[in-house]
Formats: sequence, C-alpha cells, structure tokens
Amino acid sequence: MDFISNALVIGLTEHAPLVLAAMGFALLYRLTGLINVAYSETVTLGAYFGMWVNTTFDLNFYTVLLPAGVLAGLVSVGTYFVIFRPAKRRNVGTLELIIISFGLSVVLRHGLQFVFGYPVRFYDVPPPHTLFVLGVGVSTFRLLALGSVLVLALLLYWFIQKSRYGLQIRALASDEDLAQVSGIRPLFVTAMIWFIAGVAGGLAGAFYGVGSSVAPLLGWRQFLFILLVVLVGGAKNIGGVIITGIATGVALAAMTLQFGQVLYAQLALIVAFIVILKVRGRRATDLAKV
Amino acid sequence: MTDPVEAPAEVRPRIHIEKVVKSFSGRVVVDVDEMVLGEHPIEGLIGPNGAGKTTLMRMIMHSTALDQGRITLLPSGAEGEQIELSQLPTHHMASHGVVKSNQVIMDFEKLTIWDSLLLALAGAKYEQPLRIFSESDLFQESAETAREFLDFFSFGDPFGHAESAGEKKLLDIVRCLMLKPKFLLLDEPTAGLPDETTDKVMQVVRELAVSGTSIVIVEHDLNVIWSLSDQVHFMAEGSVVMRGDPKTIRENHTVVEKYLGEGHV
Amino acid sequence: MNLDWLDAFLVSGLFFVVMIIGLALLLHIQLGLARIANFGVVGFWGIGMYSFGVLFVKVDWPFGDPWPFLISAAFGSVVAGLSGLLVGWLIADLDEDGVLVGTLGFATAVWILATTEQDLTGGALGMGGLRFPYDIGTVKANETLWLVLLIIVVALILYYVHRVHRAPYGRLLTAIGDNEPLARSLGKATFRTKIWLFAFASAGMGLLGAMYGVMERFLETANIGIDITLAAIVGLILGGTARVWGAVIGVAISVGVFDILVQSYLPLPRDWYSQAIPVLREAIFGAVLIIVLLFRPLGVLGDMRRDKLMRSMHGD
Repeated sequence: MDFISNALVIGLTEHAPLVLAAMGFALLYRLTGLINVAYSETVTLGAYFGMWVNTTFDLNFYTVLLPAGVLAGLVSVGTYFVIFRPAKRRNVGTLELIIISFGLSVVLRHGLQFVFGYPVRFYDVPPPHTLFVLGVGVSTFRLLALGSVLVLALLLYWFIQKSRYGLQIRALASDEDLAQVSGIRPLFVTAMIWFIAGVAGGLAGAFYGVGSSVAPLLGWRQFLFILLVVLVGGAKNIGGVIITGIATGVALAAMTLQFGQVLYAQLALIVAFIVILKVRGRRATDLAKV
Repeated sequence: MTDPVEAPAEVRPRIHIEKVVKSFSGRVVVDVDEMVLGEHPIEGLIGPNGAGKTTLMRMIMHSTALDQGRITLLPSGAEGEQIELSQLPTHHMASHGVVKSNQVIMDFEKLTIWDSLLLALAGAKYEQPLRIFSESDLFQESAETAREFLDFFSFGDPFGHAESAGEKKLLDIVRCLMLKPKFLLLDEPTAGLPDETTDKVMQVVRELAVSGTSIVIVEHDLNVIWSLSDQVHFMAEGSVVMRGDPKTIRENHTVVEKYLGEGHV
Repeated sequence: MNLDWLDAFLVSGLFFVVMIIGLALLLHIQLGLARIANFGVVGFWGIGMYSFGVLFVKVDWPFGDPWPFLISAAFGSVVAGLSGLLVGWLIADLDEDGVLVGTLGFATAVWILATTEQDLTGGALGMGGLRFPYDIGTVKANETLWLVLLIIVVALILYYVHRVHRAPYGRLLTAIGDNEPLARSLGKATFRTKIWLFAFASAGMGLLGAMYGVMERFLETANIGIDITLAAIVGLILGGTARVWGAVIGVAISVGVFDILVQSYLPLPRDWYSQAIPVLREAIFGAVLIIVLLFRPLGVLGDMRRDKLMRSMHGD
C-alpha cells in the first residue's frame, strides 16, 4: 500500500513537467506534423529564463513562471519564422526537417552555455513548504507543477475544441488550402500554435529547474521521454498524451522505488515504449500507395 | 500479330475474390461479394471514377489491407496449390507472378532507366551486402532481356533518368514486364502515353496473353478496352454490377449512359 | 624511427578525424542511400568499444599479443552487429519518427548500461587497462602506428562504399531510400534488407569504437555522448549525403578544420580551449546542419550521378 501511494504521489508530482512538455510537443506534432528535436531546448530555455528572472530581479518563483513561459514561447515562435517556415517554403523533406531541428537543438543548447556560463545554476528560492499527501511528503512547487499541468490541459482542451481560434487551428491542420480559402490567417494561427507549445515547454523547464538545478542538458535529457510519450500516447488527441504522460511518470516512480536506480527505470521504459511502437508500426505499413 | 487464342480457363492463373470489403473513414469503397479474374486472357475493369477499381487492385496486391474477405491466387493448370494473397506481404507477390503497374506516376528519381530494369531483373542473391562484385554477373545475365525492351519501346537515353511523365509511366510498365508476370494487373496503362507507345504496349500485352499470362486492365480509354479485352467487368460504387463480353457491355445502354456518357461509345 | 617532426596532438587529432570519416562513411550507406537517419551512431560505436574493452581487460588472456586484441575487437564488432540486427528489426517498418525514437533510444540505453553496470564498465569513473597490442618503443610511435592501422581500416570501408555504389546491393538501397513501396512491389524484401544493412554498418561502427578505445586507453561514459553522432552527421551532410566522397570531404572540412587547425595551430588564449572552443565547435556544427540543409541540401558534392556511373560501367 505504501509502495503504491508513494509511486502514485511521486509519479504525479515529480513527473508532472513531463506531461506539460509532452502536451506542448504533441500540439506541434499534431498540428504541423513536425518532429521538433529543438523542442527540448524550449524546455531548457524556460528553466534558464526563470532562473535569470528569479535571480536578477529577485522575484519569487510563482511570479517568475509568467515571464519564463512567455519568453520560451517567443523563442519558439522565433525558430518557426527564422528556420521552419523558410524550410517549409523550400519543400524540405521530413527526414531533413528532423535533422535541421536536431541542428537547431545543438545550436541553442550550446548558445545557452555561452550566454549563461558553464557551471550548473540554481534558482534562488526559499525552501518550499512540504505538504503530506497520502502520507508522502511533497514540495509545494511540485504540487504547483501538477496543478498547472491540470489547468493548462483544460485550457488547451478548451482552446482547441471550443474557441474560435481552436476551430481555425483544427481547420488548418486538416486542410491548409481550404482553411486559407475560408478566410483563416494561417500565419497568425500557426504562430499561435508555436507560441502555446513554447509556453508549455518553458513552464515545464521552469518546474524542472526549480526542482533540482539548471544545466544546458536539462531539456535534452527529457527529450527522448517526451518523444516516447507523444508517439505512444498518440498525437491524435491531447487526452491520450496526458494519460500516457501520467502513466509514464507513475511507472518511472514505481520502478525507481523498486530498482533503487532511476536509470534502470528509464531503461525499462525505453524498451517497453519502443516495443509498443514496433507492434503498432506493423499495421501502418500496409497504407503504402502502390 | 495474331489474335490471342482462347486458352481453357483452368490452365490460366486466376484470382478469386470473396466477400471483400474496404472502407475509408466510414465510407465503403469496395464491397465485392464474389469475383474471379483471369478466366479469360485479357479482362477489362471499367467503371466511373470512385467505383473502387484502383482500391480493388491495391487490395489484390495487399498494399491496401482488407477489412474483410479473402483473395486467393489459383495457379495455372494442376501445378501448385492455392495461395492466399490476402495473407502475404506485398513483396511476396512478385515471386508468385502477381504484378501491378501503377495508376499514378511512380518512379525512382535517383535511378536511371537502366538501373530500373536491372533492379527489377536482379534476384535477391545479387543484392547481398557482401556481394560487391556481382554487378557484372547480373549484367551478363540480364542485359539481353533489358536491351530487347529498351529497343522495342525506344527510350530516349536509357543511361539517363526517365524525364517526361509518359516515359516514367512506360518505365513503370516495363519494370512490371521484367518480373515475368503470370498475373499482370495494369492500372490505366495508357493514360499519358503517346499513341504509338500505347500501340506497342497493347502489342506486348497481347503477346503475353498468348503465352499464358492472365491480364486485367483498368482503363478510362474505352477504345483500349473494347479492342483488347475478352471479358469486361463493370464496377460502380464499390461492387461489380455487370460482366460480359465487350459487345454486351457496350450495347447495354443504361450502363453506358449512366456511367460512361455517350461520348465514349 | 625518429618521429620528432610529428606533433603528438596531430596524431590524436588525425586519429579522431579519420575515425569520424569511417563512421560517416557507414552512415552514408544508411542515410545517403537507404535514407534512414541513424541518430544512434554513438550507441553502436560505444557498445563496440565497451564490449571490446570489458573482454580485453577482464579476461586473463593465456596467449600473447596481438590475439587478445584481435579476439576482443572481433567480439566488440559482433556485439555491435547483433545490436544493429536488433535495432534494424525494430525500425525496419517504422517511419522517420519511429527511426528517430528507436536509434536515439538505443544510444541512450547503451549510455545507461555503461553507467549502471559499474562492475563491468567502471561506470562514470571510467575503466583503464587498455593498451596497444604491440610495443614498438615510445608512446608516440605506438600511437602513430595505430593511426596508420586505422587509416587502413577506414580506407577499406571507403573502398567497400565505393563498390556498393557499383553493385546491385547499392542499387537496391538507393531504390529503398527513393521509393520503398515501389521497391516492395517489385518483390524486394525491403525490411530484411534494412535489418542486414544495420547489422553490417553497426559491426563496422563497433570496430571503430574498439580501435578508439585502444587509442584512448581509458573508457568513460562521457565519451559516448551525442557529440560523436553529431560529428558524423555534420560531416556527412556538409560533404554530401549521396556521394561516396561526401563523408571524407565533409568530415575533413568540419571536424578536421576544428580539431586539428583550430585546436592545435591557431594562436588562441589558453583558457579558451577548456570551455569556449568545444562549445563553439558544437554550436557551429549545429548551425552548419541547418544552413546546409536549407540552402544546399545535398552538400558540397551535390547529388549522386547514376547516369554517369551507369554509362561508365555499361556504356559502350
């Protein structure tokens, strides 16, 4: 019983940023079809921006979230205009786009090292309060992370399913030409998708950063898991990604408790997810157009 | 060229289609209860756009999965047993002699015309990772066959790439011929080809039929169908609504008016 | 032999450049011909290096040089080849996204195992005890001979790639990369071809890893990071993915220029080398990927010329 409640609480709170990051990545993947490796740096950027605002202006962590998210979102939009939009106009193929985004990821990661220096950095925050949930101590930051995941998930759902812009986004994703004819401003809507995805990634980064430390590899270390959660959860709906993300978090926490070693938990997860993708992939192949 | 001699049905390879259904996002595209292809040397498959002809061809090749049903190959004569095509992966079709040309233009953009032919002719034994000196063996074995077709269809520069849409389309058909088909499916083979090339393709198709290959042609150019085929299947809305010899189909006014328009006749 | 004229930095720099050329050549068959983006190059290289190292160091060898090295290197290569078989099977019928996950996941798994299995690999602390399978005098002489042996191995890989372009196998790989469904409809077992492609290319990468381990004489997990994969991809893309010599030229003007010219011969302040230069190097490599793929996707050498090749082989 202790094991289960431990795994549940730790999994939900410690890995809540993973769900947040996966939601943003899934949004981009679903609506633009792009596997953006550089998304991992959006997460890192959020962590660094939050830390910078926090330590420079001496703001508390809750206030820092807003600028961290917005700045990461703006950089995300920036990468769209500077790199991905020109690439799309040049009809760069899927495989090349993945490599381009990989290159961008490398540039941003090392650019951040230049700007913020080489040592690992920390948020300057008072030690968070600890609350007890099901007998397990949890820091308020982690509860806040979980809370913002829930809020953001609801917001995203509402935004995409109900709002006027959401309708336009869905129209754009299904048929760009038709969407254009019906008076949607694709550029504005696309930029908005990149912004929202960036905000989600940036917030996830801030939560990761305040939870431990801020280092250039912060986002890259999570990228494989973000990617796995999104591909396995299915890019069709945000719900599948959230459920897979939560399940991943709980599974990681449970296996870490069991093996006493987070790396074994990660290894087991990588293997399990790739097997799932493999089993599913077999069905996709008969759609060939011959 | 002599007229194809009607061979007895049981010596030709046939394809048996049973209770086959395919739908895309809820819309039924193909729903064929029973159909046998290959009882006549050359059969035509006609019908309006969206009748499911191309999808049915792809289902035979198993490049489109079936929702339900079964497709089997009944090999010619007494030799061999039935082969359930709807259980085979796509790349096994060619080894059973079932080959299809494509409706849309399909080409290897990086390969030259010679490459395409040698690729189709090469057996798996030549294509192993460590057989890096086998090109000359392959060329010795296959060059004569390839040259014969290259000359017959008079490709512009066989060492270059297929340039025009017509050349690519023709190359697609020639690749199929390299595979020594026993059951050849041609999906709109003459669309986009110049007239003299169409004639040559039709000539080769007739010769193949005489030598025992079963041929099914999907065509919009009904002149090709009327002049080439011995039997015509008429598809509409996913099902075969009528079959018979070309003359019967042609004279059926409801079919012609409703689906084909007077202009075609 | 008098090797005073030879700079020790130059030997290790050249060794790294030639090794990356080898990796980029093997990657060229996967990415350039069959169009499979292997983001796990370092995983195959690393598993070869570690399998070799562990066997070489942990076994009490009853026979003398060079047998322990030869047996261990063969073992490392076979282990890498078998992992290639496994990863190839995983990704053979997946699209680009699946290939990215599968290969990146494999490289991560190798890193995790190298870190956690401390009893075997020394974990993050690293593992020493590797040495050259000969001793011809000074360290410099030994390293120089090792460099020469590596050059021979990579030259053989280059010759293999050159022949693949002129063999039915290369034609099949090109066809798969170009239009896999069409190749399948022509009766080509494309999945099986990709699986064996991964097995052979990975075995080669594993052998290069084993040779690198000997040169370094020390294995540590910091060595098997994404930067090895990045160097091979950048070199290949810059030189030209579709051409035999693309990997050679591309690696020479990217890794070569940086690791030999900038590292050893530019008069830059000392303290730049520890942090600024390596970071700058990676950032520039990333930028090169973006710029080349946006403005000259086929690299310096451009597209493959099968028309010329076919005419020279079979033309009159």
